[in-house]
Amino acid sequence: MSYGLNVYKADGSLGFSTLDIVWMQIDQFTVAANASVANTYPEVSGMTVIAQMQMINDPPASQEAYAPEVIVSGTTVSVAPYTSKTSEQVIIMVLAQD
Amino acid sequence: MSYGFAAINTSGQTIISDEMENLHFLGKATLTGNDGGNYGDFPGYGGANDTLDGRVIFTYTITATAPPLVFIKPSDYNRWHAIITQSNSGSTWTFDVIASGTSTSDAPELYCFVNANSTSGTTSTHGLVVWKPDGTTRTFDSRYNPLAISDGGTLAPPLDPTDGSGLPGNTSGHSWNYATNDHDFRSTTRYTSSAVTGTYSALMFAAPSLAQATYKRQMEGYKKSTWCCASCCGHCLCSSSQEHWSTAMWWVMYRNTFRLRSGYMDAGWTNYAAGYSFSSSHEGGGWFGGGGGSYSSGSMPYTAKTINLTSNAYIIADATRYG
Repeated sequence: MSYGLNVYKADGSLGFSTLDIVWMQIDQFTVAANASVANTYPEVSGMTVIAQMQMINDPPASQEAYAPEVIVSGTTVSVAPYTSKTSEQVIIMVLAQD
Repeated sequence: MSYGFAAINTSGQTIISDEMENLHFLGKATLTGNDGGNYGDFPGYGGANDTLDGRVIFTYTITATAPPLVFIKPSDYNRWHAIITQSNSGSTWTFDVIASGTSTSDAPELYCFVNANSTSGTTSTHGLVVWKPDGTTRTFDSRYNPLAISDGGTLAPPLDPTDGSGLPGNTSGHSWNYATNDHDFRSTTRYTSSAVTGTYSALMFAAPSLAQATYKRQMEGYKKSTWCCASCCGHCLCSSSQEHWSTAMWWVMYRNTFRLRSGYMDAGWTNYAAGYSFSSSHEGGGWFGGGGGSYSSGSMPYTAKTINLTSNAYIIADATRYG
């Protein structure tokens, strides 16, 4: 490339470059079963935000394991059980891309 | 900003910052075993539409001080994969990965990423490290292979996980002891797709499995036997009857799984468990007894439905840059 930043590894190979695309990790948090959480991240204003949800310790063969609803609205990520539903414990990973 | 560091890529996107953290390669999780594979067909049943896609559960562990973002790198890109369970005990994280098919060969590899401050151990003296304004928290450390992604978005599988036409259901009016499955419970044609770039055989994906489904096909059989208990001169003077009932039921539980192929990321389904039950009974006291017996394998975990059918975020990256 004619401009930008290349970061090389000790062996001389290219490790990272401004040609790359990334998702930044903004936060990760655990939401307990049947709980509600809303977190705001002012630093991601104007960025694209996604929240990846993974159930933890769910027993997939023996019960209905409901995931909570995750809503990303602007800089706020909200997690709550769906109306009239229970929800399992989950890990939320909040990622942002400029 | 008035101070600090930011690297902007050629599209004008901030890719390194002293405020937000990049993800970095922690290592590959260690494969500790598998469950041997199962459910390539319905247990205890051998008639029509017996075949299922089958599945294997591979188990992995890795040590991480923060919850890792885990990518699946298939060894066989024809198979569907997903992490179906993760748990931790202290800093030891355990992942169960479902793979379609019953072969215990070609286990996928799990590439794990954490924030820079959760990496340690390098002795490399070359590279670039960026700290937060607190001066102690790393946001970027090139010595640990920062994650660069190639695609991302959201995907959800279709509601119906079965190849058979429509959702399977209950029907009555079959003959007594009828037990021939007429619904194809495989999932090979049931998926939604999103376009991806890059050489797919080098790609890996991070896409949690949330959606699950359970469906069943049930057939009610019936027969009424009537006989003459006394007759004279060719005429029946007294008749009696006996009713017979049977129920045959096939059920399958599915988990949302994913597949990478040339140009696309697919969200589909793989059967996690399956069962077959049959029962036959008759009205007591008759002469034409002889129920068909009963058989049952496993128990259906919940009533037929699809749950958690919501679009979940996925990320795709080139695995050849790591490990």
